[in-house]
Amino acid sequence: MSKRVAFLFLIIVLLGLTGGCWSRKELSETAIILGAGIDREPDGKVRLTLQIARPAAFGATEGGGGGGGGGAMVGTVWVVSGTGETVFDAQRNLSLQVSRRLYWSHNIILIFGEDASRQGVREVINFFSRSPQPRETMWVGVAKGKAEELLTSHSAMEKSSAQSLGFLERMKAGLFVEYKDFIRDLACPGTNPVAPRLELLYRGRHEGPVMELGPGYHKEAVLTGAAVFKDDRLVGWLDESETRGLLWLRNLIKKGAVTVPSLNEPEKKITMEIIRSKTKVDPYYDGEKASFEVQIRVDGMLIEQQSKEVFTDPEVMAALKKSLAADVERKARSALEKARDDYAVDVFGFGEAFHRKYKKEWPALKEYWDEEFARSDVDIAVEVRIRQSGMQAGRLSIRRGAER
Amino acid sequence: MAFLTRTRRSRRAKPAGNEQNRSTGGRESTVPSFRDMALSSDLDANLDRLKEIFRDCSDIVFREFLFAQKEQIRLALVYTDGLADKSQVSEQIMRALSLEVPVAAPEAEITRANALHFVKMRGLCIHQVRESARVADVVDAVLSGDTVLLVDGHAVALINGARGWEMRSIQDSQTEVVVRGPRESFIETLRVNTSLIRRKIKNPNLKIEMFKLGEVTRTDVALVYIKGIASVGLVAEARNRLARIKIDGVLESGYIEELVQDDPYTPFALLHHTDRPDRVAAYLLEGRVAILVDGTPVVLLAPTLFIESIQTPEDYYEKSQFMTAIRMLRLLALFLSLTAPSFYVAIISFHHEMLPTALLLSIAAQREAVPLPVFVETLLMEIAFELIRETGIRLPRPIGMAVSIVAALIIGEAAVQAGMVAAATVIVVALAAIASFAVYYSGSVTVRLLRFFVLLLTSVMGLLGLMTGIILIVTHMASLRSFGIPYLYPVAPLGSADMKDVIVRAPWWAMFTRPGLISKKNRRRMAQGLKPEPLPTGGERHCWRKAGLTAGRPVFCWSRFFLPARFCLFRFSLCSTPVRTPGSQLFLLLSAA
Repeated sequence: MSKRVAFLFLIIVLLGLTGGCWSRKELSETAIILGAGIDREPDGKVRLTLQIARPAAFGATEGGGGGGGGGAMVGTVWVVSGTGETVFDAQRNLSLQVSRRLYWSHNIILIFGEDASRQGVREVINFFSRSPQPRETMWVGVAKGKAEELLTSHSAMEKSSAQSLGFLERMKAGLFVEYKDFIRDLACPGTNPVAPRLELLYRGRHEGPVMELGPGYHKEAVLTGAAVFKDDRLVGWLDESETRGLLWLRNLIKKGAVTVPSLNEPEKKITMEIIRSKTKVDPYYDGEKASFEVQIRVDGMLIEQQSKEVFTDPEVMAALKKSLAADVERKARSALEKARDDYAVDVFGFGEAFHRKYKKEWPALKEYWDEEFARSDVDIAVEVRIRQSGMQAGRLSIRRGAER
Repeated sequence: MAFLTRTRRSRRAKPAGNEQNRSTGGRESTVPSFRDMALSSDLDANLDRLKEIFRDCSDIVFREFLFAQKEQIRLALVYTDGLADKSQVSEQIMRALSLEVPVAAPEAEITRANALHFVKMRGLCIHQVRESARVADVVDAVLSGDTVLLVDGHAVALINGARGWEMRSIQDSQTEVVVRGPRESFIETLRVNTSLIRRKIKNPNLKIEMFKLGEVTRTDVALVYIKGIASVGLVAEARNRLARIKIDGVLESGYIEELVQDDPYTPFALLHHTDRPDRVAAYLLEGRVAILVDGTPVVLLAPTLFIESIQTPEDYYEKSQFMTAIRMLRLLALFLSLTAPSFYVAIISFHHEMLPTALLLSIAAQREAVPLPVFVETLLMEIAFELIRETGIRLPRPIGMAVSIVAALIIGEAAVQAGMVAAATVIVVALAAIASFAVYYSGSVTVRLLRFFVLLLTSVMGLLGLMTGIILIVTHMASLRSFGIPYLYPVAPLGSADMKDVIVRAPWWAMFTRPGLISKKNRRRMAQGLKPEPLPTGGERHCWRKAGLTAGRPVFCWSRFFLPARFCLFRFSLCSTPVRTPGSQLFLLLSAA
């Protein structure tokens, strides 16, 4: 009995060990990619730029690990760039430069260069869907210019520009697109993909007692609007205000503010903070022309007021709501008109809404849906409700009796 | 293969000789057969025989004296120096018999023939006296600390229970500390230990059967159970397993544990052991048996369930809500102590994608300077920790403390500073170590051992290995039995009524049955409907009257829903007296929660 058990135990142990350390990848032999950029060379080759974390520098804040002397922000990432016929080919070529195994699972953002986007992204994104490593939840953006330039920049706030860009999208103040949303829009005939526009701009400067040591002012990668695709090709841009409109129409507004001039004193402004909003799209089709009724309902909180109106008066309140609604509608309409009239692409998912309602008509229309969309009418109705007026009802800073 | 057969053959050849050895049990042949001898009526012959038996035993004392100062009636005392209570022997036996009897009794009546009667009924001032005519009894009694009185002319020995030896006082439990609950624990003397149990269960049904195990040591072993609660089969089985034991000595209950457990190879403790009388009493009340061994404070309990390794006596003294939370914590601790290092190794060397980026980067930063693969590093830290723990236990207490502090500081602090070990590894190993102490000690020993097994598998296959390890362990546990009771009961096989004491510790009024598989017949522990409730309010009483019912009968009562919450603990129990099945109790408990 004991011998049999011993043999069995030996077999189990040896069987386990014969596998070796199968698929083991030591953390200190891994190059963790934080950001990836894809550009097109003039000769048609793919240029892959990778921003790789340098762990030694990442841990330096606590004084342990690599060196002493505090330099937390020194060289947190290493950026390499290489070309190849395909994305993976380029990555294999990069292996000659990177001493560790490239590891995609923690890639935060995938940036398409402007050239690559204009030539069509479908050819270069297949790797990210096929390879098991990259996550579908990585953020996507389109660089105004070269993706490589964005990745070679650094962030004053975060430890790398890739993290900074990822967190900017995650804040959901501007347009935010995950890779899975991007490829879904790409695959869906009822809509076209969009992605945030990323740019290098002089924004902010870091200050401190020893700033003479180095420049406190450099270009940072920021979100500056949206890139509009027609199928997989970049056709144009939306600016920041129009991007807000895009978010309203796509039901993606998570937070933000609406600012309108005061009713009595137009040079003074009133701002409402958005608590929640809901956008509903109702398509109609008369056999010839599609039209859409868009209903936007916004709940908000009065957060700032430069003027002196008292909003306990229902009439004033009603007028304010109307004014706020008009501003939301204006932004939505500007995005709609830019996309519909200038670029003739449906980036709002109206086609999907249409498909859901008119299943029979859709197959005939889907091939040239963008043309159909370009001549459709869109009616936008906005309803604003003010739920709270912040911490005060009136304005305490106004002298008593002044409004009388 | 050849050597295998040879060993087998040689083993087969031996038994005959072995058997004989066993029956004499290694007892020296100088006293071959006194076990069958009877005492003679001649005192000198008896004394000669005993002196022969106790030859070279310098601690055996023989003392002859006269009964009631009569020359013709000689008495002799035989006892073990150090085991018998000397003051009792000299005061209550010798003084009483030689000096006080003549004063108290008319001298003329005492004759050689009725001396025994006089000694026993009118002379001895000893609380416990029994008679025996066998030499073997005399020998056992003397060696157990009793004082044997031989009367000239009578072939009977009076065995006086005047025992008294140096023993430890009853102290706090060393292995199971509680905040709320009794402070006493068992000591090395069996009789004191049984008295501690008897103090808790004052019932003639508490049976204490004695065995003498160990052919040489003649150790007293007690099988304790409550007749009528413990199932007859269980007691018989325990008796058989104890009676089977033929061994030269039993120095600790661990000897017995390994000789009676169901699966000889398992690392799991199939008999629970404790040094707390309250725990033993509680187990006895659930229909289990306890095995007490003289010379050790550690008592064996059988049958045992695995889940009991995360239960403490305090669970049943403190508030059920709080102890339920603590129990979940202990379950977590059990899981952590088994898997934390393996999980760490799996993630760091196989599954980097499972960590948030920021955490991964922070760990990567720590690991940058570490020269060893994470598995080797973790293994070394685990071994280092076990070393610290072992030295901490074995060293004399004052040094032990110092050593463990220094070792912990050096390994925890210096190794990280020197970049030999990542801080995260130290954290994980320390976490697993701390967690293992939240589990009961015998459980934690097992878990600490299995941790290395799982770690090895994980280092080879990552999370797959971790899962393989856990599956192997759980499968093994499911195959275990403790005195016939499945080790994983009531989880597997599911005993839904007994789940009241696994993850949650139900309030006492809800735990009114004993564990089902263990107490087979006598299952009810308390009366039904003991949940403290206020008297029914007006509306409810009216409702009962309308339904023609008296208080305490199940009744659907709408007023329940409209009563203020403070009047009924469970809004949604539709009956004023909820249906008292354990399952529904649990359901009610959960629904109320």
